[in-house]
Amino acid sequence: MATRDEIVASIRKAFPEGVRLLDGGDLPTFVVDRAELLRLARHLKDDPGLDFKLLADVCGADYAGREERFEAVYHLYSVTHGHRIRLKVPVREDDPVLPSVYGVWRAADWFEREAFDMFGLRFDGHPNLKRILCHPAFVGHPLRKDYEPGQRWLLREGEQDEPVWARQPHEDDDHFETQVINLGPSHPATHGTLRTVVRLDGEIITQAEVEIGYLHRCFEKMAERHTWKQVIPYTDRLNYCSPMINGVGYCLAVEKLAGIEAPPRAQLIRLILSELSRIMDHIVCIGANLNDLGAMTPFLYMYKAREEIYSILEACAGGRLTISYVRVGGLANDVPGDFVEAVRWILRRVPPLMNDMEKLITRNRIFRDRTEGVGVIAGAEALDWGWTGPCLRASGIPYDVRKAQPYLGYETFDFKVPIATTGDTFARYIVRVEEVRQSLHIIEQALERLQPGPIICDEHHVALPPKEQVYTEMEALIWHFKLIMEGARIPAGEVYGFTEGANGELGYYIVSDGGGKPYRIKVRPPCFAIFQAYPHMLVGHMVSDSVAILGSFNVIAGELDR
Amino acid sequence: MSSTPEVIVCDPKPMGLLQRLYVIEVLKGLGVTLRHFLGNVFRRTYTVTVEWPEVKREYSERLRGRHILVAREDGSPRCVACYMCEEACPADCIYIEAEERDSDSVEFEKRPKVFEIDLLRCVYCGFCVDACPKEAIIMSRVHEMTFTTRDESVAGLDVLLQKKPLRKEDMGYRPYYGKPHSHIELPIPVKPGGLLG
Amino acid sequence: MTSRDLSISPGGGSEERAAARRPDGSQVFLTTKLDALLDMARRNSLWPFPFGTACCAIEFMSVMMSHYDLSRFGAEVVRFSPRQSDLLIVAGTVTDKMAPVLVRIYEQMAEPKYVISMGACACTGGFYRAYHVVQGIDEFIPVDVYVPGCPPTPEALLKGVVHLQEMIGKGETHYQRQLAAARAAARGGADGNA
Ligand code: SF4
Ligand code: SF4
Ligand code: SF4
Repeated sequence: MATRDEIVASIRKAFPEGVRLLDGGDLPTFVVDRAELLRLARHLKDDPGLDFKLLADVCGADYAGREERFEAVYHLYSVTHGHRIRLKVPVREDDPVLPSVYGVWRAADWFEREAFDMFGLRFDGHPNLKRILCHPAFVGHPLRKDYEPGQRWLLREGEQDEPVWARQPHEDDDHFETQVINLGPSHPATHGTLRTVVRLDGEIITQAEVEIGYLHRCFEKMAERHTWKQVIPYTDRLNYCSPMINGVGYCLAVEKLAGIEAPPRAQLIRLILSELSRIMDHIVCIGANLNDLGAMTPFLYMYKAREEIYSILEACAGGRLTISYVRVGGLANDVPGDFVEAVRWILRRVPPLMNDMEKLITRNRIFRDRTEGVGVIAGAEALDWGWTGPCLRASGIPYDVRKAQPYLGYETFDFKVPIATTGDTFARYIVRVEEVRQSLHIIEQALERLQPGPIICDEHHVALPPKEQVYTEMEALIWHFKLIMEGARIPAGEVYGFTEGANGELGYYIVSDGGGKPYRIKVRPPCFAIFQAYPHMLVGHMVSDSVAILGSFNVIAGELDR
Repeated sequence: MSSTPEVIVCDPKPMGLLQRLYVIEVLKGLGVTLRHFLGNVFRRTYTVTVEWPEVKREYSERLRGRHILVAREDGSPRCVACYMCEEACPADCIYIEAEERDSDSVEFEKRPKVFEIDLLRCVYCGFCVDACPKEAIIMSRVHEMTFTTRDESVAGLDVLLQKKPLRKEDMGYRPYYGKPHSHIELPIPVKPGGLLG
Repeated sequence: MTSRDLSISPGGGSEERAAARRPDGSQVFLTTKLDALLDMARRNSLWPFPFGTACCAIEFMSVMMSHYDLSRFGAEVVRFSPRQSDLLIVAGTVTDKMAPVLVRIYEQMAEPKYVISMGACACTGGFYRAYHVVQGIDEFIPVDVYVPGCPPTPEALLKGVVHLQEMIGKGETHYQRQLAAARAAARGGADGNA
C-alpha cells in the first residue's frame, strides 16, 4: 500500500500543473483541470505504482453559487495496492462539458450517464449519453439545487425510450430478418423492474440494451431534504434484501465524517446482523436464480431460514424488512435478552437447509449444463467494468472490503474469502454458497465476544440522549429538542464510506455543509456497476441464458435505481 | 497485493460419471424432496406454516404497528402538541393543530385539537415515538389493517387515542429504559398436529 | 389521462347495484343467482398478478412462501401474464416511468379484475414525495383494497386478500359496482323505450 504522501508525490511529479491537491479529507483529493483529466486518468490506471484499476464511482455535485457550479467527482481504488483517491473536476454552468473516461475505465459508462441525467453534465466522447434513471419525457435535471423536489412530469404510453437500433430493420448475413424482443419491465425473470431489449438472430442474441430507472425513487434528492437521522429509513430501501447492511454503511460514513465511533457492543451487533442480512440476501439471490431456471423447491426450503432471520430482526428493531435499526453513533435499541440463543438457533438452522439445497442443485447436471460456461467474464474485464463483491470474486479477484479495508473489526475475525476462477454463472452461485458458510462462521465468533455495554455513544450533538434522561434532565431535553427540530450538526466536509454490501462495495459519498441536513449523498450501488456489463455479456448467448446470467448478478432494483 | 487475503478457491470439480449419468443425482435429489414430503405427511417435521387467521403469530414488543396516543387518567391525551413528532416524521404524515387548555401547570398548557396520522403515508419507522418528549405517542402491535378508500386511512384522535388501559399485548414499539424486554421466539410457533400427531 | 376514463363516478354505489339485482323478472333473477355463484367461485380462486417492483415484492414473496402460504386462501396461482390473472397486487413503488406499464397491464387483464394496493408507496407514494414517484396508484387505476404498512406484514396482506374476498361476495368491488351501474343504466334505457 502506497502511503498518501507517495501517491501525492507520484502524481505531482507526473503532473506539475493542472492538478491541485486539496488539504485534509479522508482520501487524497485532487482538483483536476478538465483538459488534463484524460491524461491523468490514463496515468493513474497504467502507472504500476498507482494502479487504479477500479473506478468505483463517478458522480456529480452542484455547488450553486460557486463560479464553477458543478463538479464531477471520481473515486478510484487500486485492488493491488489497496489505496484510494478522489478526483474532482469543476465545470461552469454555461459550459458543463468534460471528457468522458469511458475509454479508460468502461465502468464510467452508466455512472456518467447518471451524472448527465441528474446534473446535466455532458461527457464528451461518451458512446451513448442519454437519460438513464429519469424517463424520456422528463424536463430538467433533478439533483440540481434549484429543482423543486416535487415537480413531476408525466410519461405517456408510446413515449418510452427505445434503443435507436431497435427501430431500424436489419438483415443478417444470410438475409434472414432478425427479431427485436423486449423483456420487461414487468417480466417474471427480471426481478422487479428492468427492461432488456435484444436483437435475436435465430436464438442467438446479437445486440442488447438495458433500460433501468423504473424504480428511481429519488433517494438522493430525498436525502437532501431530510435530516441526517431521517435518511436512515430511506437507506433501508436501497438494497431491500439486506437492509441492515445499507444502514450500517450509511451510519459508518456519517460517523467517519463526524469523528465519532459507536461503542463496541453496537459494533458487534451491527456486524452480526449485517452477516445475517448477507445470508438473507444470498438466500434470495440463489433462490430466485434457481427459481428462474425452473427449480422452485430450493427457494421454498431456504426461505424458511430467511423468515426466521426476520424474526430476529423484528425482535431487535421492530420491523421485519425495513428495520431502521442503526443510528448514527450506535443502535436504536439494545438487542433482546435471548438474542444470542436465537442467533445460535439460526446458526444451527441454516446449514441443513443449505445442504438440502446443495444436494438438489450443485451436483445436478441440468443446472451445471445451464450455468457452466454461461456469462463468462475474466477478472480484469470485470474490474474494468467496476465489478465488486461475489461476482468479481467469482472471476478470481479476491477483493473483499471486509479484508482489504476492514471496518467494524472484521480484521479480528477468522474467515476466508471464497473465490472461483471460471467467472461463469455457476462460479457466482458457488461463491455465494460458500459465503453463506463463511458468514455463519463469522457470526459464531462474534457471538462469543458479545459483552454487555452501551449501545449508543454519548456524543449528544449527534446521537439522541436516552429517553430517561430526556424526561429528567434539562440538558438532555435541550439536546433532544435541537436534534429533532434541526437535525444533528455534522461538521462540514466530505467523506467516502465503503462497506461490503451483499453485492459488493457499497459506497456512500457524503458531503456536509455543516447543517442539519446532508448537502449531497451519492450512493455507489454495487449492482449498478455489475449490471452495466450485462448487455455486453449477453451477445452470443441465448435468451434463456440471459435469465440465468441476470439471476446470478442479484440485481436489486431499489439499489440500482435508488 | 497489500495483504493477500486468505482465500478458498471453490472451483467446481469436473462432473464425475455419476453426475453425467444424471439419473442417479436426480434420484438423490428426489430423495431429499421425498424426505420432506413424508416428514410432513406423517409428522409435520418440516411444516412451518402459521395457520393465520386461526393462529396469530405473536410479534415482539417492538413491532411498529398503528400508533397509540397515550391518555392521562382523565382520558385526555397526554400529548402537549409540541410538534416534535411532526418534525421528526420523514413521511410528513402527521398533522397537528394545537389548542390552549386550562391547566395550572405550564408544562401542559397546550393540547392537540386535531391529531391526524395518514396511515397510508406512514412508513412505520417509529421516529415519532423516538421524538416525543412526553411518551405521549407509542406504537401498538396492530398491523393488520385494510382500507377501501384513502380518506378512511387518516386516523384522528378518535382512532388513535387510547381508550382502554394499555395491556402489554397491545403495545409495540415504545421507549425502553434499562433492560430490553422483547423476546425472540424461534422456531416461529405454528399449530401443532399432523396426521399422526 | 387514462385514469379519468377508468375511474368510477361517485354515484355508482350500492343502491344502483341493488336495483340491478332486484328479482323483478325471471331473467334478472337467474343472472343474479348466477352472479352470486360466479362471485363465490371467483373469490375463492383468485389468480394474482404480482406487480412487484420494490421492497414490498419481497414481503409478497414471504406471503407466498411456506410460513404464510397464500394458497390456503385459494390464490396461489401466481401468473405473470395479465391475461391469465384477475387480481392485480401492486407491491412496491410505482414511478412515473413505470406508470404507463401499470396502466397497460391493468387494461390487459381479463375481466372481472380486482386491485390490491400493497404498501405505503403503492397507496400514496409513502415518504417519497418526489419528482419521479407516483403519489398513489389510484391516480391511474382504481383500487379496491389498500393495505398500509411499509412493507405490510404478511398477515396484513393476507387480511387484504380476505377483505377483498368479502367485498367480492358482497359485490362491492370497483368492477362489480361499475358493472351493476352499467346494467342498471341499460335496463333503465330499455324501460324508457318500452
Ligand atoms: S412512524 Fe414514522 S412515518 Fe409514521 S408517523 Fe411516525 S415518524 Fe411518521
Ligand atoms: S411529540 Fe409527543 S407531545 Fe409532542 S406533539 Fe407529538 S405526540 Fe404530542
Ligand atoms: S411501501 Fe415501503 S416497503 Fe413497500 S415498496 Fe414502498 S418503501 Fe418499499
